[in-house]
Amino acid sequence: MPVNEKNILNRLYFVAGCMFLFAIGVAVKLVNIQVSEGKKYKELAQISNFKSDTIVANRGNIYAADGSLLATSMPKYDIRVDVMAPVSLGNFNENLKPLSDSLSVMLGKPSSYYQQKLRKARSTKNRYLLITRGLGYAEYMRIKSFPMFNLGAYKGGLIVEQRTIREHPIGKMAERTIGHDRKDEEGYYSRVGIEGAFREFLRGSEGYQLKQKIAKGQWKPIDNANEVEPKDGYDVVTTIDVNMQDIAHQSLLKQLEYYKADHGTVVVMETKTGEIKAISNLGKAKAGGYYERLNYAVGESHEPGSTFKLMTMVAALEDRVIDTSDMVDTGNGRYKFYDRTVRDSKWGGFGKISMAEAFELSSNVAFARIIDEKYKQKPERFVNRLYNMGLNEKLGLPILGEGNPSIPHPTDKYWSGTSLPWMTHGYGVSMTALQTLTFYNAIANDGKMVKPRFIKEVRAWNKSYKSYKTEVIDAAICSKETALKAQQMMKNVVRRGTAKNIYDSNFSMAGKTGTCQYNYWIESGRYISSFAGYFPADEPKYSCVVVIHQPDKEIGYYGADVAAPVFKDIAMKIYAETPSVDEIENLVVDNVMSSEDFEEYYEKAQGDQKTMPNVKGMVVMDAVALLENMGLKVNFTGTGKIKNQSIKPGVKLEGVKLVELKS
Amino acid sequence: MSRSTTGKLDWVSILLYFLLVGIGWINIYSASLSEQSTSLLDFNQPYGRQLIFIICSLVLIVLVLSIEAKFYERFASIFYIISLVSLLGLFLFGKNISGATSWYSFGGMSLQPSEFAKAATALALAKYISDIQTNMKLLGSQLRAFLIIFLPALFIVPQPDPGSALVFASFFFVLHREGVSANYLWFGLLTVSLFIGTLLIGSLLVSIVAAVILIIAFFISKRKNKRRKLAPFLIAIVFTTGFAYASNYIFNDVFEQRHRDRFNIVLGKSVDTKGIGYNTNQSQIAIGSGGFTGKGFLEGTQTKGGFVPEQHTDYIFSTVGEEWGFLGSTLVVALFIILLLRLITLAERQKSQFSRVVGYGVVSVLFIHFAINIGMVIGLLPTIGIPLPFFSYGGSGLWGFTILLFIFLKLDSNRINEW
Repeated sequence: MPVNEKNILNRLYFVAGCMFLFAIGVAVKLVNIQVSEGKKYKELAQISNFKSDTIVANRGNIYAADGSLLATSMPKYDIRVDVMAPVSLGNFNENLKPLSDSLSVMLGKPSSYYQQKLRKARSTKNRYLLITRGLGYAEYMRIKSFPMFNLGAYKGGLIVEQRTIREHPIGKMAERTIGHDRKDEEGYYSRVGIEGAFREFLRGSEGYQLKQKIAKGQWKPIDNANEVEPKDGYDVVTTIDVNMQDIAHQSLLKQLEYYKADHGTVVVMETKTGEIKAISNLGKAKAGGYYERLNYAVGESHEPGSTFKLMTMVAALEDRVIDTSDMVDTGNGRYKFYDRTVRDSKWGGFGKISMAEAFELSSNVAFARIIDEKYKQKPERFVNRLYNMGLNEKLGLPILGEGNPSIPHPTDKYWSGTSLPWMTHGYGVSMTALQTLTFYNAIANDGKMVKPRFIKEVRAWNKSYKSYKTEVIDAAICSKETALKAQQMMKNVVRRGTAKNIYDSNFSMAGKTGTCQYNYWIESGRYISSFAGYFPADEPKYSCVVVIHQPDKEIGYYGADVAAPVFKDIAMKIYAETPSVDEIENLVVDNVMSSEDFEEYYEKAQGDQKTMPNVKGMVVMDAVALLENMGLKVNFTGTGKIKNQSIKPGVKLEGVKLVELKS
Repeated sequence: MSRSTTGKLDWVSILLYFLLVGIGWINIYSASLSEQSTSLLDFNQPYGRQLIFIICSLVLIVLVLSIEAKFYERFASIFYIISLVSLLGLFLFGKNISGATSWYSFGGMSLQPSEFAKAATALALAKYISDIQTNMKLLGSQLRAFLIIFLPALFIVPQPDPGSALVFASFFFVLHREGVSANYLWFGLLTVSLFIGTLLIGSLLVSIVAAVILIIAFFISKRKNKRRKLAPFLIAIVFTTGFAYASNYIFNDVFEQRHRDRFNIVLGKSVDTKGIGYNTNQSQIAIGSGGFTGKGFLEGTQTKGGFVPEQHTDYIFSTVGEEWGFLGSTLVVALFIILLLRLITLAERQKSQFSRVVGYGVVSVLFIHFAINIGMVIGLLPTIGIPLPFFSYGGSGLWGFTILLFIFLKLDSNRINEW
């Protein structure tokens, strides 16, 4: 090969030079990263070597008033397996059958299912095969002893992940009110109910510990002053009474199912203290069945309908513009304000009735007419009275998402001539079930309005950390006199008014029905049936509101039919000494025993309208109302009870126009 | 092994070899020591297995040195063919370990034939070049030599193991020493710089810069030689422009994303410390945090923490950097450079062309491994997974390099008998 000496040397230098250059490059780079930038990399090494490990605090429990657990934290274990952990296939196959058998016994699926699953995982080299989720501690200890798993974490391939979940020992009841406090995958917090409202107490504070990485995946705690002990959360004792909660839940559920309603809510509150003894919110799931989905009682502001008549009545009584005995002509049950007509639920109307009767019978016309008449010139006076009673303000509950009440004011843009008359019977205004209940409770409490509350106290182990007292919103939303009148009327609603179907001679209840057309401007036939009241009527102990949305109108929709029975059921069961016998059928017959004037009137008003009724002995006003309702013209002389009637009872009324009464 | 052989062996190289292997093992021990470690011979731990590999390589050394020197020259082609067959066999019987089918598995042991193919190729190339009928000035001979070099590489690329395949390019050094024009090298360098230039500043700019340089070159040479023609320069401009655009196409449409990422990180076009750049970043943290004198044996926090992936194999140098600092790493680099220079000296003193070419082959293979591996570990080069000779954990690698080195040392000890 003709390669001369100089050429060879050049080529030699070239090769050696390349190496030398490279060595220089390496040295420069080494100086650069080890000496010049050494500090930066040392810091980076520090950061990656130490970490502040969070020690999660135990979350506090939530208790019912009697000390039973409503929510507590439990460790749960997810079981996975690294099927590649047993290095040799023989070892794996040897354990496959016994392991699958054990899993089958424990988890229920056939052994072949697990064999196939494991074998497939082995062929796809799955090192993170899910076996089951949510095992308790005892089950976890058991699965640890299974064949193959008992070889230990490295050879057996058992992977255990512990997580803490919130358990509700009483099940789904009051789930929405107990709520939750969690962070979803995107980092958004969702804080609901008591869990959310009292999270500051419940969650405790996290502890921190400085740890150093000593090997792959191994961190050694460093004893250090930086260490912070975790502080466990406080326990929260709620006002919920487990028994009442159970009653309310079951009763509401039964009714929702029967009426195929969309959703409903029941709240039971202790009259004097405002303690919420039971709260149930059930909504229909798409798949069927009812679940605690949203806190309707707290969050859903809706048109109350006739339950609002109590507010109207109390306001008007307080303003002394009406009295219970004031008469109002409801005519034929229809009354036009401008282009809109107020209707009464009874076909043909109630005729001339007192305001007390209007309340008992829930006459929309009566309320609309009298309030319109009395306040037409100064509607703001009426509205301001409602405002004074706190009806336009939120209750200020700790639970997030309280619905806004709304009562229009004459200065509002959308105020119109029909706003006032419609407001009287609960249209055009809106409030939540709990706000309605708070008002009813105030009337039952002789005018003293207390704030509903869910929490009795916050406890740290056995010591009370903070206890909650009854909060008074307004010591007197109305005079005691007004409250007593309203109480009397509510008693009568049950005794002989719209809710007489729940009347029980052994147990006194008071309240007001409500039947409200909901979204009537969109579609007719959607109703909200409600009942609000308290019991026992003579000595109010608990108030209760029942609201059921969108019952199937083919089955029924009146507040008296849909909501009131739930109220009765709850009242009866809470006062378990009272026999809870369904006496609805007997009611009509029993009424005969009552010699009250109104009963007589009412019975006759409901009766055959083609023959002349016997009005002798009736109060003139009642008799006039009754006869006029039948389309007769009545002339009468005198006051008091009727002694004489121009047409004899039982005579057919065809063609008859005029009746003369004497007293 | 006769006394005459041992007496003529180059003990400097052997000393360097044992130093490197020993230091390597110390670092493997540090990098793979774990809580469960029991004894030095724990076969479950990499350092235990590596110790066994080292002991086995001692046996290999005795074996290699015992065989008659002529044997290697005579059977070079046989070795080469066996190694090609073994590479092809991988497609049928290979075992897939972490994504590459590069291993044969016998019981609990795995062998990587590409590590041995390097030695076989060095022998075969030496045999071909030293053949009396071969003239490396001729294109035909050059092409045949290229074929010998690239055939094994061709079989290794689809395993896939492009890193090991790249190693074969180092035989260019050998060819260069044996008289192949440096133009091949310049051509290679030019393409590489065009390629990298394209990635850095874009095809348009690169082609313009190249065209301007070529036109200036034309006028300068025109001044020296009036008869210089323009055509070759124009062709060169067309070529560089075409290449610049082609490399853009290859980079964006032929390369996979992971390849692109590796280039972009080294070129500083993207910073990524979590994904693909994680290895290099962690390796730099480990080395950088070692400082001037290092943290001391078994004191490396990054090493113990297992932050650097593959630390006992491809990234073993980061352990050196962390625990022994700048002093330790320069010592290792120096040992390598001394060994390589020593081997060049040995190669140059060979009388037989065969021995010389084998010597250069050894130097080239060791150098490219050393350069690419350390370049990768300290962030000079893109991530190309090849081991650091004598250092990195792995039986096949260690044995391959040992055989390669000691065949040459055997040949060297036999140089007196050559004529």
